[in-house]
Amino acid sequence: MATANLLTPPTTITPPTALALSQKAPLILASPPTSTLPWPLSLLFTRETPESWTIHENLLLAALRTGDDATARSLLDRLTARFGGTNERIVALRGIYEEALAGSDAELEKVFEGYEKVLKEDATNFGVRKRRVAVLKSLGRVGDAITALTVLVENSPTDAEAWAELGELYAVAGAWGQAIFCLEEVLLYMPNAWSAHAQLATLHYLSAPASLPALALALRHFSRAVELNSSSLRGLYGLKLIAQKLIPLLPQSQSQSQSVSKRNNNNNNPTDDDDLPPPNLSTVQKLEEIATSKLAEIVRLYTAGKSGWTGFDEAEVQAARELLGKAER
Amino acid sequence: MPFLGTTLNTVGLLFLTHAVYSAHEHTATFTHAALPLDVTFELLVSIAMLSAGIVLSSPDLKPIQWSQWAAKIERGGRHGEGKWTREGEELLSEGDPYAFLGLDKGIGGKGEGRRGFWDVRGKRKEYAEWAREGAK
Repeated sequence: MATANLLTPPTTITPPTALALSQKAPLILASPPTSTLPWPLSLLFTRETPESWTIHENLLLAALRTGDDATARSLLDRLTARFGGTNERIVALRGIYEEALAGSDAELEKVFEGYEKVLKEDATNFGVRKRRVAVLKSLGRVGDAITALTVLVENSPTDAEAWAELGELYAVAGAWGQAIFCLEEVLLYMPNAWSAHAQLATLHYLSAPASLPALALALRHFSRAVELNSSSLRGLYGLKLIAQKLIPLLPQSQSQSQSVSKRNNNNNNPTDDDDLPPPNLSTVQKLEEIATSKLAEIVRLYTAGKSGWTGFDEAEVQAARELLGKAER
Repeated sequence: MPFLGTTLNTVGLLFLTHAVYSAHEHTATFTHAALPLDVTFELLVSIAMLSAGIVLSSPDLKPIQWSQWAAKIERGGRHGEGKWTREGEELLSEGDPYAFLGLDKGIGGKGEGRRGFWDVRGKRKEYAEWAREGAK
């Protein structure tokens, strides 16, 4: 259920939702939140709230997405008049507007040069540095984008958003080791982020879909995602999937599993995590049972439309249903 | 429950006001006499009713365990809470605090996370294609 709310836009915006969002423009444009009265009175009779500006910013992005450039221009003018043209956030928003209007790659290069000029004056403007990476990505220069991002995270190593983006770029390029490193950095700053644990587990799984140490690590991180969010659909799905793949690979008894871990140690494994012994067969079987029952509960209650259970993504629930159906056959 | 809470609060406030007024009148009229028992009794009853009413009409408590709190957010999604901004946008309940990392849709997902790296041209192209197909 994706309602078009400008204050808190949904986490995925499909074209119809974007259209619904941008169609709210006339109402917002009709009543400017700032007061037209002279200074001391304007403070007393203002109608602006912090939410007004969030709404303006989200509407600006929605208007750019739907190609409503005139609306975007007037919203940008309003924001600039309120916060000033040198505000870091406004500079980045103006950049987004110019990027959207750039018809060709040559024009986009011009926007890029504009960013370079801003950064020459003030290299600490991280909004613009991020836009620079986005432009490089948009131009198809993924290698340059990765280089720019590595410089960015070197200068600002606590920026979890940048680490997540870098991890994504590496993952799309198939550099699993680097992507895993980036996600581990995200976890360093946001240790409770269940989505980051699930993403890291996914990366471990994709890096080596049939190797025991990688699957064991994926299982550990999916388990952590479920521990942090007991209804995490992605965590439960991953837990069941990995457990199914792991069970045939695991040795039957504890003594054998210890010999396997000893053998792994002798192989000079590069990372410390591989030194951990693989999980017990019985533990993995128990985890799979838990994941199966919880997934079945989610699928059943979501399908029944029980109140308080309808917040899941339709496609994700469908995928869980298929996974459960496959296991039964 | 909200109806019961509001009723208790209203009646309790009326009784409290009445008790305070009676006590003031009594002390003003008979300066040295003790307060009658019924005034004291009314005051105590009104305070008990108000206390119960305030507790009953308070919003639901949040889960105090992280995993249950997160599970509630994930299961229920974001829903309106009956309050609107001046622009007519509804204030929604609490959402995933890590949505800004943009990791919940997987690798190459089309989420709206990581706003700093928002790909405006890609989204614009996606919308333009949808509009063209819809026009056909």
